[in-house]
Amino acid sequence: MSREVSQTPDINKSDSPATETADSKKPANYKRISDDDLYRHSSQFRMWSFTEKNLREKRKKTNERAIGTINEKLRKFIEDNKSSLTEEELQTLRVKASPLSMEEELQLINFYSKKVQVIAQHLNLPTEVIATSITFFRRFFLDNSVMEFDPKNLVHTTIFLACKSENYFISVDSFAKKAKSNREAILKYEFKLVESLKFSLLNHHPYKPLHGFFLDIQTILYGKVDLKYMGQIYDRCKKKITDALLTDIVYLFTPPQITLAIISMEDEQLISRYLELKFGKDISNNTDDQENGVNKEVKEVNKEEEGGVPEKVDDKHEPQNDIELNKLLTIISQCVDLLEKSESVTTDDAKRVAAKNYYCQNPSILLQKLKRKLESSNDNNGNESPSKKPKIEE
Amino acid sequence: MSESNYTKEKKVGEGTYAVVYLGKQLSSGDSIAVKEIKTSEFKDGLDMSAIREVKYLQELNHPNVINLIDIFMAYDNLNLVLEFLPTDLEVVIKDKNILFTPADIKSWMLMTLRGVYHVHRNFILHRDLKPNNLLISPDGLIKVADFGLARAVPGPREMLTSNVVTRWYRAPELLFGAKHYTYAVDVWSIGVIFAELMLRIPYLPGQDDMNQMEVTFRALGTPTDKQWPEVSSFPGYNKLQIYPSPSRDELRKRFIAATESALTLMENMLMMNPQTRWNTIQCLESEYFKELPAPSDPADINIFSQKV
Repeated sequence: MSREVSQTPDINKSDSPATETADSKKPANYKRISDDDLYRHSSQFRMWSFTEKNLREKRKKTNERAIGTINEKLRKFIEDNKSSLTEEELQTLRVKASPLSMEEELQLINFYSKKVQVIAQHLNLPTEVIATSITFFRRFFLDNSVMEFDPKNLVHTTIFLACKSENYFISVDSFAKKAKSNREAILKYEFKLVESLKFSLLNHHPYKPLHGFFLDIQTILYGKVDLKYMGQIYDRCKKKITDALLTDIVYLFTPPQITLAIISMEDEQLISRYLELKFGKDISNNTDDQENGVNKEVKEVNKEEEGGVPEKVDDKHEPQNDIELNKLLTIISQCVDLLEKSESVTTDDAKRVAAKNYYCQNPSILLQKLKRKLESSNDNNGNESPSKKPKIEE
Repeated sequence: MSESNYTKEKKVGEGTYAVVYLGKQLSSGDSIAVKEIKTSEFKDGLDMSAIREVKYLQELNHPNVINLIDIFMAYDNLNLVLEFLPTDLEVVIKDKNILFTPADIKSWMLMTLRGVYHVHRNFILHRDLKPNNLLISPDGLIKVADFGLARAVPGPREMLTSNVVTRWYRAPELLFGAKHYTYAVDVWSIGVIFAELMLRIPYLPGQDDMNQMEVTFRALGTPTDKQWPEVSSFPGYNKLQIYPSPSRDELRKRFIAATESALTLMENMLMMNPQTRWNTIQCLESEYFKELPAPSDPADINIFSQKV
């Protein structure tokens, strides 16, 4: 765990207000830490923000590692049973017992993420707990493959940990009762989960920025927006945020960026009017924002500009307090594009991938199935059942 | 992240949910403390205190907040590797062989407030500030520690438990059982610590929860609706003895060595109404830190007993 953060400025240095000496002069290196700087120090930004390329490489690495293990097991299985395997069986193994591709893994993860959401909702958990459950679950499968850990074994574990982490304590027994699971199953992978989360448990979900923008839009567009209408927008956006957590968006954009994108999907005009009024000042540069008293909001939104797409945040990138409206709009529309592209996985697809996942880990069961199929079609009563045990992972 | 990089040499403490060892980081030779979370004892999996501690320390990186160096798992136990901090403010206050000056107190207050300011601006409440949780590094720096009771700043309608903070350092809104509170509870605790540093004995040592109210209001006055709108609507308010707020003169008599600015800072940290109580920024910007004597250089403060 590296606690070093390369982004500027150094949060450790004299950033506390006033103090130091009786002399009110500020030191030469004086710099107030902005909210953006704080976000850049968060574990969410340090550990869980990626470029699309990074993210893909990360998944590929996980997938390849699992494929390696599975192929090795399959090879060994065939080796060990060489003498008894028929040509047909070998053929079946070759076709059906193949490891999942990265895309298939992602399908399964997406499917189960949705399941996490549904179950957590069913348990009547608060929005933040549901959001954290989904987040924990998806993060777990960035470094672990579904071929290593069956996603269905992590569903309750992530929800239970999310409850504790969000200060919404339920005892494991009553949780197990409500979730129709059992204590052992829930706790079995808790350590593995915490470890895979790199002990980083604090999440910044977009609900708070939504509330912030919701208030600020009403301030900026005072008298120009209908409050009841805003209320409806708010509720719809809140739901959409939870949906967005089921996608990769959260790895690629900051919470306020996602929020702006989601509001603009509801009402594009509202957002463009708001941003135009807030940051549009046609007079090219708005460096005097500090004096204008919009300083705080500027920083707040600045978050999306800087923290957002990590590739843009170079180590030497100096935080700036002026918003480039066009740049911001571009980021929002990139985010909207991705949100619109994301689609859910059908149950059939998920079932197919889950079956494939199962057979590649349990070739003997695949063969038993083949055998039964042959038996029933031949109506031939061979009572010799193979005693090979399915290889259960972990 | 590996256990092989650290040694555990001496057991130095045992709490309800952890055992603390002193050891070394092998790669650097630095002294470290390893907090081993006793996981097997908890039937609900990872303990909430451990989760809170890990969760918040991961986000905080400041010279006046304890540094979480590493975390590792070993034998089904969670181990937090923390920087080595040989003493704490409680030990220093109690040790009559240690002499400290108003400038030393100012230095400690400054460091404590800076640390807590950093905690607060990360939207975290500590909820258990007391001298015992203000650890001191070998070079004299105060480090806010023990985040086992910490939580995120609540949303406007969120309900909280008022059963937080060690009794003597508990703010009046908590004594009244408020279901919603915020940063101000931590500032109160620092205010009480400030008083304790000046008096060198605990300032509001209640014997139980009821007595804590009595002790607090006898010293600082019973809050009225005028100072704190609707305070009288808290359950139990009617049973309270009404004490007047102490005059400045009375405070001067109690805190003989304190300057006017010191008393002003203390009064504002110990404001009954949490709405008007100063926040950490106001505290840090107060006159007390600007007037002489300048805060001592932490490295020059005696934190260990002088007896030979």
